[in-house]
Amino acid sequence: MDYFYHILIICLIYSIFAQSLNLELGFTGLYNFGHIAFFGIGAYTSALLSLNGVPIPLAVVGAITLAGIAGALLAIPTLRLSGDYFGIATLVFAEMIHLIFLNERDITRGPMGLPNIPRPDWIGSGISSLPLFLAVTFFAATITFILLRRITNSPYGRSLKVIREDEFVAQALGKNTSLIKTKAIVVGSVLAGLAGVIWAHYITYISPADFTLQETILVLLCVVLGGKGTHPGPVVGAFVIIFFAEFIRFIPIPSEYVRFVAPLQGMVYGFILVIMMLKRPQGLISESRKFATTNA
Amino acid sequence: MTSYYAQLLVNGIIAGSIYAMFAVGLAMVYGVFKFINFSHGELITWGAYLTWMFSSSPFSLPVYISVVPALLITVGIGLAQDRFVYRPLRQSNPIAILIASIGLSYMLRNGIRLCWGSDLQTFDLPLSTGILLSGIYITKIQILMVLSALLFFSILYFLLTCTLLGKSLRAVSDNIELSAIMGINMTKVTWTIWVLASVFAGTGGILLALDTSLDPMMGMNSLIKAFAAVLLGGAGNVWGALIGGLFIGIAENISVAFISPDYKDFISYGLIFLLLLFKPRGFFGIAGGVR
Repeated sequence: MDYFYHILIICLIYSIFAQSLNLELGFTGLYNFGHIAFFGIGAYTSALLSLNGVPIPLAVVGAITLAGIAGALLAIPTLRLSGDYFGIATLVFAEMIHLIFLNERDITRGPMGLPNIPRPDWIGSGISSLPLFLAVTFFAATITFILLRRITNSPYGRSLKVIREDEFVAQALGKNTSLIKTKAIVVGSVLAGLAGVIWAHYITYISPADFTLQETILVLLCVVLGGKGTHPGPVVGAFVIIFFAEFIRFIPIPSEYVRFVAPLQGMVYGFILVIMMLKRPQGLISESRKFATTNA
Repeated sequence: MTSYYAQLLVNGIIAGSIYAMFAVGLAMVYGVFKFINFSHGELITWGAYLTWMFSSSPFSLPVYISVVPALLITVGIGLAQDRFVYRPLRQSNPIAILIASIGLSYMLRNGIRLCWGSDLQTFDLPLSTGILLSGIYITKIQILMVLSALLFFSILYFLLTCTLLGKSLRAVSDNIELSAIMGINMTKVTWTIWVLASVFAGTGGILLALDTSLDPMMGMNSLIKAFAAVLLGGAGNVWGALIGGLFIGIAENISVAFISPDYKDFISYGLIFLLLLFKPRGFFGIAGGVR
Protein backbone atom coordinates (compact mmCIF):
# COMPACT_ATOMS: atom_id res chain seq x y z
CA MET A 1 0.00 0.00 0.00
CA ASP A 2 2.84 2.37 0.86
CA TYR A 3 4.37 1.66 -2.51
CA PHE A 4 1.06 2.47 -4.17
CA TYR A 5 1.01 5.83 -2.36
CA HIS A 6 4.50 6.49 -3.66
CA ILE A 7 3.51 5.77 -7.27
CA LEU A 8 0.46 7.99 -6.95
CA ILE A 9 2.54 10.87 -5.61
CA ILE A 10 5.01 10.56 -8.50
CA CYS A 11 2.11 10.36 -10.98
CA LEU A 12 0.54 13.51 -9.55
CA ILE A 13 3.84 15.43 -9.58
CA TYR A 14 4.32 14.47 -13.21
CA SER A 15 0.74 15.36 -14.00
CA ILE A 16 1.34 18.91 -12.68
CA PHE A 17 4.53 19.08 -14.71
CA ALA A 18 2.87 17.72 -17.85
CA GLN A 19 -0.12 20.04 -17.50
CA SER A 20 2.21 23.04 -17.28
CA LEU A 21 3.95 21.95 -20.47
CA ASN A 22 0.58 21.37 -22.10
CA LEU A 23 -0.34 25.02 -21.60
CA GLU A 24 2.66 25.98 -23.74
CA LEU A 25 2.91 23.06 -26.15
CA GLY A 26 -0.72 22.02 -26.47
CA PHE A 27 -2.65 25.25 -26.15
CA THR A 28 -0.20 27.89 -27.37
CA GLY A 29 1.83 25.79 -29.81
CA LEU A 30 5.17 26.74 -28.28
CA TYR A 31 7.60 23.85 -28.70
CA ASN A 32 9.28 24.11 -25.33
CA PHE A 33 11.99 21.45 -25.19
CA GLY A 34 13.62 22.86 -22.09
CA HIS A 35 10.74 22.70 -19.66
CA ILE A 36 12.81 20.63 -17.24
CA ALA A 37 14.85 23.77 -16.53
CA PHE A 38 11.93 25.32 -14.62
CA PHE A 39 11.25 22.10 -12.77
CA GLY A 40 14.93 22.16 -11.80
CA ILE A 41 14.93 25.83 -10.84
CA GLY A 42 11.92 25.24 -8.60
CA ALA A 43 13.48 22.17 -7.00
CA TYR A 44 16.92 23.71 -6.42
CA THR A 45 15.66 27.06 -5.15
CA SER A 46 13.25 25.56 -2.66
CA ALA A 47 15.81 23.00 -1.52
CA LEU A 48 18.60 25.55 -1.10
CA LEU A 49 16.40 28.05 0.70
CA SER A 50 14.95 25.52 3.13
CA LEU A 51 18.36 23.94 3.74
CA ASN A 52 19.63 27.37 4.71
CA GLY A 53 16.94 27.84 7.32
CA VAL A 54 14.26 29.70 5.41
CA PRO A 55 10.79 28.50 6.51
CA ILE A 56 9.45 26.02 3.96
CA PRO A 57 6.31 27.95 2.90
CA LEU A 58 8.51 30.96 2.18
CA ALA A 59 11.00 28.75 0.29
CA VAL A 60 8.19 27.35 -1.83
CA VAL A 61 6.90 30.81 -2.71
CA GLY A 62 10.44 31.95 -3.47
CA ALA A 63 11.04 28.95 -5.69
CA ILE A 64 7.94 29.29 -7.83
CA THR A 65 8.49 33.05 -8.09
CA LEU A 66 12.02 32.48 -9.33
CA ALA A 67 10.78 29.88 -11.83
CA GLY A 68 8.27 32.44 -13.11
CA ILE A 69 10.92 35.14 -13.39
CA ALA A 70 13.19 32.72 -15.25
CA GLY A 71 10.30 31.95 -17.59
CA ALA A 72 9.78 35.65 -18.30
CA LEU A 73 13.49 36.14 -18.86
CA LEU A 74 13.55 33.24 -21.31
CA ALA A 75 10.39 34.44 -23.02
CA ILE A 76 11.61 37.95 -23.78
CA PRO A 77 14.45 37.03 -26.14
CA THR A 78 12.98 33.84 -27.57
CA LEU A 79 9.39 34.71 -28.31
CA ARG A 80 10.20 36.52 -31.51
CA LEU A 81 11.38 33.18 -32.82
CA SER A 82 9.00 30.88 -34.54
CA GLY A 83 8.54 27.15 -34.24
CA ASP A 84 11.63 25.04 -34.31
CA TYR A 85 13.97 27.93 -33.46
CA PHE A 86 12.11 28.41 -30.21
CA GLY A 87 12.60 24.68 -29.64
CA ILE A 88 16.37 24.98 -30.00
CA ALA A 89 16.55 28.04 -27.78
CA THR A 90 14.64 26.32 -24.97
CA LEU A 91 16.67 23.13 -25.32
CA VAL A 92 19.85 25.18 -25.02
CA PHE A 93 18.43 27.08 -22.06
CA ALA A 94 17.84 23.79 -20.23
CA GLU A 95 21.40 22.69 -20.98
CA MET A 96 22.72 25.99 -19.60
CA ILE A 97 20.72 25.60 -16.39
CA HIS A 98 21.96 22.02 -16.10
CA LEU A 99 25.57 23.22 -16.46
CA ILE A 100 25.02 25.83 -13.75
CA PHE A 101 23.64 23.18 -11.35
CA LEU A 102 26.65 21.02 -12.16
CA ASN A 103 29.40 23.62 -11.95
CA GLU A 104 28.42 26.12 -9.26
CA ARG A 105 29.76 23.75 -6.63
CA ASP A 106 29.88 26.38 -3.88
CA ILE A 107 26.12 26.73 -4.03
CA THR A 108 24.70 23.51 -5.45
CA ARG A 109 27.42 21.05 -4.38
CA GLY A 110 27.73 20.12 -8.06
CA PRO A 111 27.28 16.46 -9.04
CA MET A 112 27.02 15.39 -5.39
CA GLY A 113 23.60 16.97 -5.16
CA LEU A 114 21.66 18.24 -2.16
CA PRO A 115 20.68 15.60 0.43
CA ASN A 116 18.37 15.89 3.46
CA ILE A 117 15.98 18.45 2.05
CA PRO A 118 13.59 19.21 4.94
CA ARG A 119 9.84 18.71 4.86
CA PRO A 120 7.25 20.71 6.76
CA ASP A 121 6.88 19.42 10.33
CA TRP A 122 3.15 18.78 9.99
CA ILE A 123 3.80 16.35 7.13
CA GLY A 124 6.71 14.64 8.79
CA SER A 125 9.02 12.14 7.15
CA GLY A 126 9.21 8.41 6.58
CA ILE A 127 6.54 5.97 5.49
CA SER A 128 3.89 7.29 7.90
CA SER A 129 3.90 10.66 6.13
CA LEU A 130 2.95 9.20 2.73
CA PRO A 131 -0.87 9.59 2.92
CA LEU A 132 -0.56 13.21 4.04
CA PHE A 133 1.99 13.99 1.33
CA LEU A 134 -0.31 12.34 -1.19
CA ALA A 135 -3.13 14.60 -0.02
CA VAL A 136 -0.98 17.70 -0.42
CA THR A 137 0.17 16.65 -3.89
CA PHE A 138 -3.38 15.82 -4.89
CA PHE A 139 -4.48 19.25 -3.71
CA ALA A 140 -1.73 20.92 -5.78
CA ALA A 141 -2.59 18.85 -8.86
CA THR A 142 -6.28 19.68 -8.53
CA ILE A 143 -5.56 23.39 -8.15
CA THR A 144 -3.35 23.20 -11.25
CA PHE A 145 -6.06 21.41 -13.19
CA ILE A 146 -8.78 23.90 -12.24
CA LEU A 147 -6.51 26.88 -12.80
CA LEU A 148 -5.47 25.73 -16.26
CA ARG A 149 -9.05 24.87 -17.14
CA ARG A 150 -10.16 28.36 -16.20
CA ILE A 151 -7.29 29.98 -18.06
CA THR A 152 -7.77 28.05 -21.27
CA ASN A 153 -11.56 28.35 -21.31
CA SER A 154 -11.39 32.11 -20.88
CA PRO A 155 -11.15 34.61 -23.75
CA TYR A 156 -7.43 34.66 -23.03
CA GLY A 157 -7.33 30.89 -23.61
CA ARG A 158 -9.06 31.31 -26.94
CA SER A 159 -6.45 33.84 -28.04
CA LEU A 160 -3.79 31.28 -27.11
CA LYS A 161 -5.42 28.82 -29.49
CA VAL A 162 -5.64 31.41 -32.24
CA ILE A 163 -1.92 32.07 -31.83
CA ARG A 164 -1.29 28.35 -32.10
CA GLU A 165 -3.33 28.04 -35.27
CA ASP A 166 -2.12 31.21 -36.96
CA GLU A 167 -0.16 33.92 -35.24
CA PHE A 168 -0.65 36.42 -38.03
CA VAL A 169 -4.42 36.13 -37.70
CA ALA A 170 -4.12 36.83 -33.97
CA GLN A 171 -2.01 39.91 -34.71
CA ALA A 172 -4.43 41.06 -37.37
CA LEU A 173 -7.24 40.77 -34.82
CA GLY A 174 -5.36 43.20 -32.62
CA LYS A 175 -3.93 40.78 -30.10
CA ASN A 176 -0.61 41.54 -28.48
CA THR A 177 0.77 38.10 -29.23
CA SER A 178 4.14 38.53 -27.50
CA LEU A 179 2.48 39.54 -24.25
CA ILE A 180 -0.03 36.70 -24.45
CA LYS A 181 2.70 34.16 -25.13
CA THR A 182 4.90 35.58 -22.37
CA LYS A 183 2.06 35.17 -19.89
CA ALA A 184 1.56 31.57 -21.01
CA ILE A 185 5.24 30.82 -20.51
CA VAL A 186 5.30 32.47 -17.09
CA VAL A 187 2.27 30.49 -15.91
CA GLY A 188 3.75 27.30 -17.39
CA SER A 189 7.08 27.97 -15.68
CA VAL A 190 5.49 28.73 -12.31
CA LEU A 191 3.54 25.46 -12.40
CA ALA A 192 6.59 23.51 -13.56
CA GLY A 193 8.47 25.13 -10.66
CA LEU A 194 5.70 24.01 -8.31
CA ALA A 195 6.05 20.44 -9.57
CA GLY A 196 9.81 20.70 -9.00
CA VAL A 197 9.31 22.01 -5.46
CA ILE A 198 7.02 19.12 -4.52
CA TRP A 199 9.47 16.69 -6.11
CA ALA A 200 12.44 18.08 -4.16
CA HIS A 201 10.65 17.94 -0.80
CA TYR A 202 9.23 14.51 -1.54
CA ILE A 203 12.40 12.75 -2.72
CA THR A 204 14.50 14.89 -0.26
CA TYR A 205 17.57 14.48 -2.45
CA ILE A 206 18.24 16.23 -5.76
CA SER A 207 21.24 16.25 -8.08
CA PRO A 208 21.86 17.73 -11.54
CA ALA A 209 21.32 14.27 -13.05
CA ASP A 210 17.59 14.57 -12.24
CA PHE A 211 17.17 17.52 -14.59
CA THR A 212 18.35 16.41 -18.01
CA LEU A 213 16.98 15.91 -21.49
CA GLN A 214 15.79 12.49 -20.32
CA GLU A 215 13.10 14.07 -18.12
CA THR A 216 12.16 16.51 -20.87
CA ILE A 217 11.48 13.55 -23.15
CA LEU A 218 9.47 11.85 -20.41
CA VAL A 219 7.20 14.84 -19.81
CA LEU A 220 6.89 15.48 -23.54
CA LEU A 221 5.77 11.88 -23.88
CA CYS A 222 3.16 12.36 -21.12
CA VAL A 223 1.66 15.33 -22.96
CA VAL A 224 1.81 13.86 -26.46
CA LEU A 225 0.56 10.43 -25.45
CA GLY A 226 -2.31 11.74 -23.36
CA GLY A 227 -3.38 14.32 -25.90
CA LYS A 228 -1.96 17.81 -26.21
CA GLY A 229 -4.38 20.68 -26.06
CA THR A 230 -6.86 18.81 -23.85
CA HIS A 231 -7.40 19.17 -20.11
CA PRO A 232 -7.35 15.51 -19.01
CA GLY A 233 -4.77 14.49 -21.66
CA PRO A 234 -1.52 15.25 -19.78
CA VAL A 235 -2.92 13.78 -16.56
CA VAL A 236 -3.85 10.55 -18.31
CA GLY A 237 -0.48 10.54 -20.08
CA ALA A 238 1.40 10.99 -16.81
CA PHE A 239 -0.48 8.16 -15.10
CA VAL A 240 0.00 5.80 -18.05
CA ILE A 241 3.72 6.52 -18.39
CA ILE A 242 4.57 6.41 -14.66
CA PHE A 243 2.52 3.25 -14.06
CA PHE A 244 4.20 1.65 -17.06
CA ALA A 245 7.64 2.60 -15.73
CA GLU A 246 6.85 1.27 -12.25
CA PHE A 247 5.16 -1.86 -13.59
CA ILE A 248 8.40 -2.87 -15.34
CA ARG A 249 10.07 -3.20 -11.94
CA PHE A 250 7.82 -6.11 -11.07
CA ILE A 251 8.68 -8.18 -14.10
CA PRO A 252 11.08 -10.86 -12.85
CA ILE A 253 14.25 -10.24 -14.85
CA PRO A 254 17.37 -12.39 -14.40
CA SER A 255 20.06 -10.23 -12.82
CA GLU A 256 22.43 -10.50 -15.79
CA TYR A 257 19.83 -8.77 -17.96
CA VAL A 258 18.94 -5.97 -15.54
CA ARG A 259 21.31 -3.52 -17.21
CA PHE A 260 19.30 -3.83 -20.43
CA VAL A 261 16.05 -2.66 -18.83
CA ALA A 262 16.68 1.10 -18.70
CA PRO A 263 17.89 1.44 -22.32
CA LEU A 264 15.03 -0.74 -23.54
CA GLN A 265 12.58 1.42 -21.65
CA GLY A 266 14.14 4.49 -23.28
CA MET A 267 13.87 2.89 -26.70
CA VAL A 268 10.19 2.13 -26.06
CA TYR A 269 9.55 5.77 -25.03
CA GLY A 270 11.26 7.06 -28.16
CA PHE A 271 9.43 4.53 -30.29
CA ILE A 272 6.05 5.52 -28.80
CA LEU A 273 6.77 9.19 -29.58
CA VAL A 274 7.56 8.35 -33.21
CA ILE A 275 4.58 6.03 -33.62
CA MET A 276 2.23 8.53 -32.00
CA MET A 277 3.35 11.19 -34.46
CA LEU A 278 2.90 8.82 -37.39
CA LYS A 279 -0.37 7.17 -36.43
CA ARG A 280 -2.16 9.28 -33.84
CA PRO A 281 -0.62 12.75 -33.50
CA GLN A 282 -3.58 14.00 -31.44
CA GLY A 283 -2.88 11.54 -28.59
CA LEU A 284 -5.15 9.19 -26.66
CA ILE A 285 -7.69 11.93 -26.00
CA SER A 286 -8.19 14.16 -29.00
CA GLU A 287 -9.00 17.82 -28.77
CA SER A 288 -12.49 18.84 -29.74
CA ARG A 289 -12.21 20.94 -32.89
CA LYS A 290 -15.77 22.22 -33.04
CA PHE A 291 -14.60 25.81 -33.32
CA ALA A 292 -12.09 24.97 -35.99
CA THR A 293 -14.53 23.28 -38.33
CA THR A 294 -17.33 25.84 -38.35
CA ASN A 295 -15.27 28.59 -39.91
CA ALA A 296 -13.15 26.36 -42.15
CA MET B 1 52.73 33.00 -24.36
CA THR B 2 52.01 33.47 -28.07
CA SER B 3 52.50 29.74 -28.52
CA TYR B 4 49.81 29.18 -25.88
CA TYR B 5 47.30 31.16 -27.92
CA ALA B 6 48.53 29.57 -31.14
CA GLN B 7 47.96 26.18 -29.54
CA LEU B 8 44.42 27.18 -28.58
CA LEU B 9 43.81 28.43 -32.12
CA VAL B 10 45.02 25.13 -33.59
CA ASN B 11 42.84 23.19 -31.16
CA GLY B 12 39.96 25.40 -32.24
CA ILE B 13 40.53 24.69 -35.91
CA ILE B 14 40.64 20.96 -35.19
CA ALA B 15 37.42 21.03 -33.18
CA GLY B 16 35.84 23.42 -35.67
CA SER B 17 36.49 21.20 -38.67
CA ILE B 18 34.62 18.39 -36.93
CA TYR B 19 31.73 20.69 -35.91
CA ALA B 20 31.54 21.81 -39.54
CA MET B 21 31.19 18.19 -40.66
CA PHE B 22 28.32 17.71 -38.21
CA ALA B 23 26.69 20.99 -39.18
CA VAL B 24 26.70 20.46 -42.92
CA GLY B 25 24.23 17.55 -42.85
CA LEU B 26 21.95 19.43 -40.50
CA ALA B 27 22.05 22.47 -42.78
CA MET B 28 21.31 20.40 -45.89
CA VAL B 29 18.34 18.65 -44.32
CA TYR B 30 17.02 21.97 -43.04
CA GLY B 31 17.60 23.61 -46.41
CA VAL B 32 15.43 21.12 -48.26
CA PHE B 33 12.93 19.66 -45.81
CA LYS B 34 12.65 22.70 -43.49
CA PHE B 35 12.86 20.89 -40.20
CA ILE B 36 15.56 20.55 -37.58
CA ASN B 37 16.65 16.96 -37.43
CA PHE B 38 17.26 16.23 -33.75
CA SER B 39 18.28 12.67 -34.57
CA HIS B 40 21.21 13.93 -36.64
CA GLY B 41 23.38 13.60 -33.56
CA GLU B 42 22.66 9.89 -33.39
CA LEU B 43 24.23 9.37 -36.82
CA ILE B 44 27.43 10.73 -35.26
CA THR B 45 27.24 8.32 -32.34
CA TRP B 46 26.29 5.30 -34.43
CA GLY B 47 29.11 5.92 -36.90
CA ALA B 48 31.63 6.02 -34.08
CA TYR B 49 30.26 3.03 -32.17
CA LEU B 50 29.94 0.84 -35.28
CA THR B 51 33.56 1.53 -36.22
CA TRP B 52 34.56 0.68 -32.69
CA MET B 53 32.54 -2.54 -32.87
CA PHE B 54 34.12 -3.67 -36.14
CA SER B 55 37.60 -2.83 -34.93
CA SER B 56 37.35 -4.79 -31.68
CA SER B 57 36.74 -8.51 -31.18
CA PRO B 58 35.08 -10.60 -32.66
CA PHE B 59 35.69 -8.72 -35.92
CA SER B 60 39.09 -7.21 -35.03
CA LEU B 61 39.43 -5.38 -38.33
CA PRO B 62 41.96 -2.58 -38.63
CA VAL B 63 40.31 0.76 -37.93
CA TYR B 64 40.65 2.07 -41.50
CA ILE B 65 38.81 -0.99 -42.87
CA SER B 66 36.10 -1.05 -40.21
CA VAL B 67 35.18 2.49 -41.21
CA VAL B 68 33.66 1.10 -44.43
CA PRO B 69 30.94 -1.21 -43.01
CA ALA B 70 30.32 1.30 -40.21
CA LEU B 71 29.61 4.12 -42.62
CA LEU B 72 27.47 1.85 -44.78
CA ILE B 73 25.28 1.00 -41.80
CA THR B 74 25.15 4.66 -40.74
CA VAL B 75 23.95 5.60 -44.20
CA GLY B 76 21.39 2.82 -43.87
CA ILE B 77 20.15 4.35 -40.61
CA GLY B 78 19.99 7.78 -42.22
CA LEU B 79 17.97 6.49 -45.17
CA ALA B 80 15.70 4.44 -42.91
CA GLN B 81 14.96 7.56 -40.82
CA ASP B 82 13.73 9.27 -43.93
CA ARG B 83 11.88 6.30 -45.39
CA PHE B 84 9.97 5.28 -42.27
CA VAL B 85 9.56 8.50 -40.31
CA TYR B 86 10.24 11.71 -42.18
CA ARG B 87 8.74 10.85 -45.55
CA PRO B 88 5.34 9.80 -44.16
CA LEU B 89 5.36 12.98 -42.05
CA ARG B 90 6.40 15.33 -44.82
CA GLN B 91 2.89 16.73 -45.30
CA SER B 92 1.98 16.93 -41.60
CA ASN B 93 2.49 19.89 -39.29
CA PRO B 94 6.01 20.90 -38.21
CA ILE B 95 5.57 20.03 -34.55
CA ALA B 96 4.82 16.41 -35.43
CA ILE B 97 8.10 16.09 -37.34
CA LEU B 98 10.01 17.81 -34.55
CA ILE B 99 8.59 15.55 -31.84
CA ALA B 100 9.13 12.49 -34.04
CA SER B 101 12.77 13.44 -34.57
CA ILE B 102 13.25 13.90 -30.81
CA GLY B 103 11.66 10.51 -30.23
CA LEU B 104 13.81 8.92 -32.90
CA SER B 105 16.95 10.42 -31.43
CA TYR B 106 16.04 9.12 -27.98
CA MET B 107 15.34 5.67 -29.39
CA LEU B 108 18.62 5.47 -31.29
CA ARG B 109 20.60 6.78 -28.32
CA ASN B 110 19.13 4.15 -26.04
CA GLY B 111 19.87 1.60 -28.77
CA ILE B 112 23.55 2.49 -28.28
CA ARG B 113 23.16 2.01 -24.52
CA LEU B 114 21.46 -1.32 -25.06
CA CYS B 115 24.19 -2.67 -27.36
CA TRP B 116 27.31 -1.25 -25.77
CA GLY B 117 26.40 0.12 -22.35
CA SER B 118 26.61 3.67 -21.02
CA ASP B 119 30.28 3.72 -20.05
CA LEU B 120 33.04 5.58 -21.83
CA GLN B 121 34.84 3.47 -24.41
CA THR B 122 38.07 4.12 -26.26
CA PHE B 123 39.62 2.73 -29.40
CA ASP B 124 42.33 0.22 -28.64
CA LEU B 125 45.02 2.17 -30.45
CA PRO B 126 48.69 2.48 -29.61
CA LEU B 127 49.27 5.71 -27.70
CA SER B 128 49.33 8.39 -30.35
CA THR B 129 52.43 10.47 -29.93
CA GLY B 130 52.12 14.16 -30.55
CA ILE B 131 54.25 16.05 -32.97
CA LEU B 132 55.75 19.34 -31.88
CA LEU B 133 55.53 21.87 -34.70
CA SER B 134 57.24 25.14 -33.74
CA GLY B 135 55.86 25.04 -30.23
CA ILE B 136 52.44 23.67 -31.13
CA TYR B 137 51.52 20.19 -30.07
CA ILE B 138 49.33 18.17 -32.43
CA THR B 139 48.60 14.44 -32.79
CA LYS B 140 48.44 12.46 -36.03
CA ILE B 141 44.73 11.88 -35.56
CA GLN B 142 44.14 15.60 -35.23
CA ILE B 143 45.99 16.18 -38.51
CA LEU B 144 43.80 13.47 -40.02
CA MET B 145 40.72 15.28 -38.72
CA VAL B 146 41.60 18.53 -40.43
CA LEU B 147 42.66 16.77 -43.65
CA SER B 148 39.44 14.71 -43.81
CA ALA B 149 37.35 17.81 -43.31
CA LEU B 150 39.28 19.51 -46.13
CA LEU B 151 38.87 16.48 -48.39
CA PHE B 152 35.16 16.06 -47.66
CA PHE B 153 34.35 19.71 -48.18
CA SER B 154 36.35 19.74 -51.42
CA ILE B 155 34.39 16.74 -52.69
CA LEU B 156 31.16 18.43 -51.63
CA TYR B 157 32.16 21.61 -53.43
CA PHE B 158 32.91 19.62 -56.57
CA LEU B 159 29.63 17.73 -56.26
CA LEU B 160 27.53 20.85 -55.78
CA THR B 161 29.13 22.98 -58.46
CA CYS B 162 30.33 20.61 -61.20
CA THR B 163 27.70 17.88 -61.43
CA LEU B 164 24.10 17.78 -62.58
CA LEU B 165 23.15 16.12 -59.28
CA GLY B 166 24.67 19.02 -57.40
CA LYS B 167 22.77 21.46 -59.54
CA SER B 168 19.49 19.71 -58.77
CA LEU B 169 20.40 19.67 -55.06
CA ARG B 170 20.87 23.41 -55.09
CA ALA B 171 17.67 23.89 -57.07
CA VAL B 172 15.68 21.78 -54.62
CA SER B 173 16.96 23.64 -51.60
CA ASP B 174 16.04 26.86 -53.32
CA ASN B 175 12.47 25.89 -54.11
CA ILE B 176 11.30 22.34 -53.63
CA GLU B 177 7.96 22.62 -55.43
CA LEU B 178 9.29 24.41 -58.48
CA SER B 179 12.10 21.87 -58.79
CA ALA B 180 9.63 19.01 -58.71
CA ILE B 181 7.57 20.74 -61.42
CA MET B 182 10.69 21.14 -63.54
CA GLY B 183 11.12 17.37 -63.49
CA ILE B 184 13.98 16.99 -61.06
CA ASN B 185 14.08 13.48 -59.68
CA MET B 186 13.09 14.10 -56.07
CA THR B 187 13.77 10.57 -54.87
CA LYS B 188 17.35 10.79 -56.08
CA VAL B 189 17.85 14.20 -54.47
CA THR B 190 16.33 13.03 -51.18
CA TRP B 191 18.58 9.98 -51.12
CA THR B 192 21.64 12.07 -51.90
CA ILE B 193 20.91 14.46 -49.06
CA TRP B 194 20.51 11.69 -46.49
CA VAL B 195 23.58 9.82 -47.76
CA LEU B 196 25.67 13.00 -47.58
CA ALA B 197 24.33 13.92 -44.15
CA SER B 198 24.99 10.42 -42.81
CA VAL B 199 28.49 10.13 -44.28
CA PHE B 200 29.56 13.54 -42.99
CA ALA B 201 28.08 12.91 -39.55
CA GLY B 202 29.41 9.35 -39.33
CA THR B 203 32.92 10.27 -40.42
CA GLY B 204 33.00 13.22 -38.06
CA GLY B 205 31.85 10.97 -35.25
CA ILE B 206 34.55 8.38 -35.98
CA LEU B 207 37.28 11.03 -36.03
CA LEU B 208 35.99 12.60 -32.82
CA ALA B 209 35.91 9.19 -31.15
CA LEU B 210 39.46 8.42 -32.33
CA ASP B 211 40.65 11.69 -30.87
CA THR B 212 38.75 11.49 -27.58
CA SER B 213 36.43 8.67 -26.56
CA LEU B 214 33.01 7.17 -27.23
CA ASP B 215 29.97 7.70 -25.08
CA PRO B 216 26.27 7.55 -25.88
CA MET B 217 25.83 11.29 -25.32
CA MET B 218 28.59 12.35 -27.74
CA GLY B 219 26.11 12.89 -30.56
CA MET B 220 23.71 14.99 -28.53
CA ASN B 221 26.51 17.18 -27.18
CA SER B 222 27.94 17.72 -30.65
CA LEU B 223 24.51 18.37 -32.07
CA ILE B 224 24.09 21.53 -30.00
CA LYS B 225 27.42 22.79 -31.36
CA ALA B 226 26.23 21.93 -34.84
CA PHE B 227 23.00 23.88 -34.24
CA ALA B 228 25.07 26.88 -33.25
CA ALA B 229 27.20 26.49 -36.37
CA VAL B 230 24.14 26.21 -38.61
CA LEU B 231 22.55 29.27 -37.01
CA LEU B 232 25.75 31.23 -37.40
CA GLY B 233 26.07 30.32 -41.04
CA GLY B 234 22.39 30.79 -41.80
CA ALA B 235 20.02 27.85 -41.86
CA GLY B 236 20.16 25.83 -45.04
CA ASN B 237 23.51 27.22 -46.11
CA VAL B 238 26.24 24.59 -46.54
CA TRP B 239 29.20 26.97 -46.72
CA GLY B 240 27.81 29.00 -43.86
CA ALA B 241 27.81 25.80 -41.83
CA LEU B 242 31.51 25.27 -42.61
CA ILE B 243 32.47 28.76 -41.49
CA GLY B 244 30.08 28.61 -38.55
CA GLY B 245 31.59 25.32 -37.37
CA LEU B 246 35.14 26.67 -37.58
CA PHE B 247 34.14 29.84 -35.77
CA ILE B 248 32.51 27.95 -32.92
CA GLY B 249 35.45 25.59 -32.56
CA ILE B 250 37.92 28.48 -32.40
CA ALA B 251 35.76 30.64 -30.12
CA GLU B 252 35.29 27.76 -27.71
CA ASN B 253 38.96 26.89 -27.48
CA ILE B 254 40.18 30.45 -27.22
CA SER B 255 37.64 31.02 -24.44
CA VAL B 256 39.51 28.50 -22.28
CA ALA B 257 42.15 31.19 -21.78
CA PHE B 258 39.59 33.49 -20.19
CA ILE B 259 36.87 31.46 -18.51
CA SER B 260 36.70 28.20 -16.57
CA PRO B 261 36.80 25.15 -18.90
CA ASP B 262 33.67 23.90 -17.07
CA TYR B 263 31.76 26.61 -18.91
CA LYS B 264 33.34 26.00 -22.32
CA ASP B 265 29.99 24.82 -23.66
CA PHE B 266 28.45 28.13 -22.60
CA ILE B 267 30.18 29.80 -25.56
CA SER B 268 28.16 27.94 -28.15
CA TYR B 269 25.00 28.11 -26.02
CA GLY B 270 25.37 31.83 -25.49
CA LEU B 271 26.15 32.30 -29.15
CA ILE B 272 22.93 30.51 -30.09
CA PHE B 273 20.97 32.93 -27.92
CA LEU B 274 22.72 36.01 -29.24
CA LEU B 275 22.33 34.93 -32.85
CA LEU B 276 18.67 34.08 -32.46
CA LEU B 277 18.17 37.50 -30.91
CA PHE B 278 20.07 39.71 -33.27
CA LYS B 279 20.79 37.81 -36.44
CA PRO B 280 18.29 34.97 -36.80
CA ARG B 281 19.16 34.47 -40.44
CA GLY B 282 22.84 34.02 -39.70
CA PHE B 283 25.63 35.90 -41.39
CA PHE B 284 25.28 34.07 -44.69
CA GLY B 285 21.59 33.30 -44.58
CA ILE B 286 19.55 32.81 -47.68
CA ALA B 287 17.39 35.83 -48.36
CA GLY B 288 13.82 35.18 -47.30
CA GLY B 289 14.77 32.18 -45.22
CA VAL B 290 12.37 31.17 -42.50
CA ARG B 291 13.51 31.93 -39.02
